Amino acid sequence: MIGSLADFARLAREKGPKKMAVLAPEDEEFMTAVKASWEKGYIEPVLIGDGGKIAGVAEKVSFSIDPFEKISRADPQGISDLGIGMLFSGETPIAGKGQIPTSYIYRSIIREEAKSGSGMTVSVVTFWEIPGIDHLVAFTDTGVNIKPNLKAKREIIRNAVFVYHLLGYPRPRIAVLSGQRDLGGDLASYGDYRALKEAAEAGDFGSCEIMAATSFTDIFLGRRDRPVDYGRIRGDDMPHILLVPCLDTGNIICKLDFFLDVTRSSLVATSRGPVCIPARSDFSDNIVQQIAMSVVLADRMERR
Amino acid sequence: MLNAFKDITEAARRGGSKRIVVPWPTEQDLAVLAEAAAAGLVSPCLVGNGGRLKALVDRSSLAAGTCDILEEDDPRQALLKAMAVVRSGDGDILMQGGAAKSDLFQALRDKDAGWLNPGGVLSLVSVFSLLKREKLILVTDTYINNHPTLVEKQRILGNALDLARLLGMESPKTAVLAAIEQVNPGIPSTLDAAVLSKMAERRQFGRAVVEGPLDIDCALSQVAAKRKGLQSAVTGNVDIYLVPEIDTGLLLAEALVFFGRMKTAGVVMGTTRPVIVDLPFVSRENRVVEIALASLLCRKGGKDA
Repeated sequence: MIGSLADFARLAREKGPKKMAVLAPEDEEFMTAVKASWEKGYIEPVLIGDGGKIAGVAEKVSFSIDPFEKISRADPQGISDLGIGMLFSGETPIAGKGQIPTSYIYRSIIREEAKSGSGMTVSVVTFWEIPGIDHLVAFTDTGVNIKPNLKAKREIIRNAVFVYHLLGYPRPRIAVLSGQRDLGGDLASYGDYRALKEAAEAGDFGSCEIMAATSFTDIFLGRRDRPVDYGRIRGDDMPHILLVPCLDTGNIICKLDFFLDVTRSSLVATSRGPVCIPARSDFSDNIVQQIAMSVVLADRMERR
Repeated sequence: MLNAFKDITEAARRGGSKRIVVPWPTEQDLAVLAEAAAAGLVSPCLVGNGGRLKALVDRSSLAAGTCDILEEDDPRQALLKAMAVVRSGDGDILMQGGAAKSDLFQALRDKDAGWLNPGGVLSLVSVFSLLKREKLILVTDTYINNHPTLVEKQRILGNALDLARLLGMESPKTAVLAAIEQVNPGIPSTLDAAVLSKMAERRQFGRAVVEGPLDIDCALSQVAAKRKGLQSAVTGNVDIYLVPEIDTGLLLAEALVFFGRMKTAGVVMGTTRPVIVDLPFVSRENRVVEIALASLLCRKGGKDA
């Protein structure tokens, strides 16, 4: 069972190097991460993008890219289509996003999933490593679905449960988050919680459990009728998966690592393998961590 | 400028004791009121069944003779009576007490009751005390409005700016949050944020800097913003975080409390008199700070408290 980001780093060394289609590594921070991941034995990069820019940035970070396959492409959608195509054809078990808007990547994944007939909805899983919590906690969907309806949320849960099963958690616990409170009537997000809980109980998502909790107050205090006591905040009942109501909520909360003592790491699990999608503001250490996670997920998907 | 909760409490104490009116108070309310009264912030006026209230007061640490009791046997009537006392000028602050929030807000929104400011939008501003440096930040709306329209967001921002200025922030810096920092017609929150930002540019919020849309990484980190090609006086030094809707507002406030162990105190804005409500993510200790915040609002006078 993988319980920490350090576990990913350790396992990535064991399972790597794996071929990774690297899309537009045209930024120093990202190229530094590719270099470090190669040196650690996680990946063997296939560099796709503007040849001149790639060579320039590699030189800046003192990374000799001579030994690696390089494919020159200029337009972002072309770069994305090619890299994601390599993932879906089995040529590389991982794809990773460099300095290219995420929307191009999602578009390519959606097309490939449709072609493959997998029926898989694209969603992003963002892990938090939280001091004092003995497992990784994942927010989803933090990247693709702007305002997912119930049907989309069912798919988002399936994707996250699939990832947790790969990590070795046989029955992940899920909280369907909502701003529901004793004011303002029933929110759509709360209606979704009730429907999803019923569906989980009927076995629609495989082995998992949706908790009777829709807020962090519920998760941490177990009740809402007494005030928080900072000396007694515990995370004993912390779920594995936190389904966020919409993209605004997911993105705003999952990136609180800029503020809080937590470490963040994201990926997209497609039907053919993981896609590493660091934020454009992420730094190289964080990107290396995300690459390690993708390597381990790819290995476990291959073994299935 | 007030930079910490202790500054708020001290400023309120210097302003003198206020009369706080509480319908059908709970035992927890009494504990908070006792602390606030001992700190010289308030003298409580409790509205409800006399026998029940006397028993509660006897069990509490409220010093004898420091509170009044107004007799009212019906809990719903107790709320209306408490509101009437404050409206008449015999009280300064309304505290939720044992009233249901739905009843309280229905009564506050009654246009004939005189509790709504001209803008007509109530909102909750949660004030947080940063852990690593002495600074207060405001997050809004964290409790009241589900999915505010652009016009409502304009009022909610106005409410937060009022409180920020009261705390001494002369030109408050606001991040209008959204999932991304680019304006994307497919994501409505980014459009609202862009409009609010433009309105601020045209001085429609007075002296304030409003930047939006901003994703949280750009709001929190100047370095992250720079990597995304964004330069602004707001990034990395935000005073007010305006959230798109309540799912985000409530969960963001709770995340800061439970994951970040950040202290918070909130107050209802948009009313003609200060109102404080009971929220589970506010500690007992910080409910006293809420009373202090409400006391500061009293100074602004009746019309736009």
